[in-house]
Amino acid sequence: MRIINFAKRNFKEIARDPLSLIFAIILPLFLLFVFQQFNIPNESYKLENFTPGMVVFGFSFITLFTAMLISKDRTTSLLIRLGVSPMKSREYILGYMLSIIPIILIQNTLFFLLAIGLGLRFSINIFFAILVSIVIAVLFISIGIIIGSVATEKASSGISSIIVQIVCFTSGMYFPKEMLGKGFGTICEYLPFESCLTILKGVMHNRFQNIQLRNVIVFVIYAVVVFVISVIIFNRKMTSDNK
Amino acid sequence: MIAIEVENLTKKYKEKVVVNGINLKINQGELFALLGTNGAGKTTTIKMLSTLILPNDGKVKINGLNVIKDRQEIREILNISPQETAIAPNLSVKENLEFMAGVYQISNKEEKINELIKMFKLDEVLNQKAKILSGGWQRKVSIAISLINDPKILFLDEPTLGLDVIARKELWAVIKHLKGKITIILTTHYMEEAEKLSDRVGIMAKGNLLTVGTSNELIAKTGAENFEDAFVKIATGGEL
Repeated sequence: MRIINFAKRNFKEIARDPLSLIFAIILPLFLLFVFQQFNIPNESYKLENFTPGMVVFGFSFITLFTAMLISKDRTTSLLIRLGVSPMKSREYILGYMLSIIPIILIQNTLFFLLAIGLGLRFSINIFFAILVSIVIAVLFISIGIIIGSVATEKASSGISSIIVQIVCFTSGMYFPKEMLGKGFGTICEYLPFESCLTILKGVMHNRFQNIQLRNVIVFVIYAVVVFVISVIIFNRKMTSDNK
Repeated sequence: MIAIEVENLTKKYKEKVVVNGINLKINQGELFALLGTNGAGKTTTIKMLSTLILPNDGKVKINGLNVIKDRQEIREILNISPQETAIAPNLSVKENLEFMAGVYQISNKEEKINELIKMFKLDEVLNQKAKILSGGWQRKVSIAISLINDPKILFLDEPTLGLDVIARKELWAVIKHLKGKITIILTTHYMEEAEKLSDRVGIMAKGNLLTVGTSNELIAKTGAENFEDAFVKIATGGEL
């Protein structure tokens, strides 16, 4: 119950910040709409590829909000107040994670509704893609927890913006990874964002053969390792902030 | 009955001793003010007493419970109003109270919240977001939140810092109202506040608890003209 209580509070904090709505929902919707108005001769911009690309792009802002929320909770000493309460470490982490899920569902629903309005063929796989995206979001939330635990509120937004850029360049949402050469392609393969997009596309298009084992392994390793690191760092900072 | 019993409490950060083997007993229902210059070790002491950080050495018993072994039980019976207001900025005053009631799993939540609204006269700001409240209101809300679990022990860290005289007097009235019902440990830089509100005062300097007594006892002990002078004499070892 404490987890739900904490998640509800976190959700309200994020949802009541107008910047959250603009960056996480309105900006990707705007980009999705605008890019479909031009006939760009690149596979990445086809509606069936660009829509999941926008989902992953929207997730990079989830990293930003998670980081900002945690760093704000640290600066305002709310975490000191909670630190003397009976709340346990796992309740904080799960509370932060759960609060993001409704935002993800709202984001994805609106992205896919707009895409369908723009001509994307509706299929049941869209629902599966939304479900898979929740799992993918764990990675982005965990990155946000790490940033928010180590950085100040101002620095959190700066560092998270770098993540947004890395996602844009390495996920393949704007251009195929091969376009910038073999070296860049290899970097993309070893970073998780291209795998996130490939998995999401594969599920959405019901073309599981397009998802390579490498994509699954890279994503799972990153998601697990980053999640574990986020729990360790958050717990350490909860103690060290109080020194 | 003793509410807080501290024996040889020590905190070190690497080689630096921040709290140096302090001994202290605080009675149930007592309002104890912990005074000291900046860096005296007051906040670190409060953080150890309130289970936020672990001591390197020494024993602390809160209502007979060990601060290390019985940490979880202790957390049910204490609360803190930190130096910063520590409230959720985008939540209304009522939502803040509801949120903290949820954290402590308060069974009679509505009843308790209404009691606090009445006690702190929060009606006029109840539906306002915490971030738009004045400093005085934020402090009031912060203290109201810290009473949500009916704590037996309450830590007030600089509760009136930066407030205007009226807001400060209002908060003093609230603290006086709580006096005797809850054991309160207050840190402050305002001598007048410590003198008017507290039953006893402890003065810390460089990690040591130099003396404990009532304000009148400390004035008499130092031969000072007033409490502020007594504090300065004790804290500086008579250098000023």
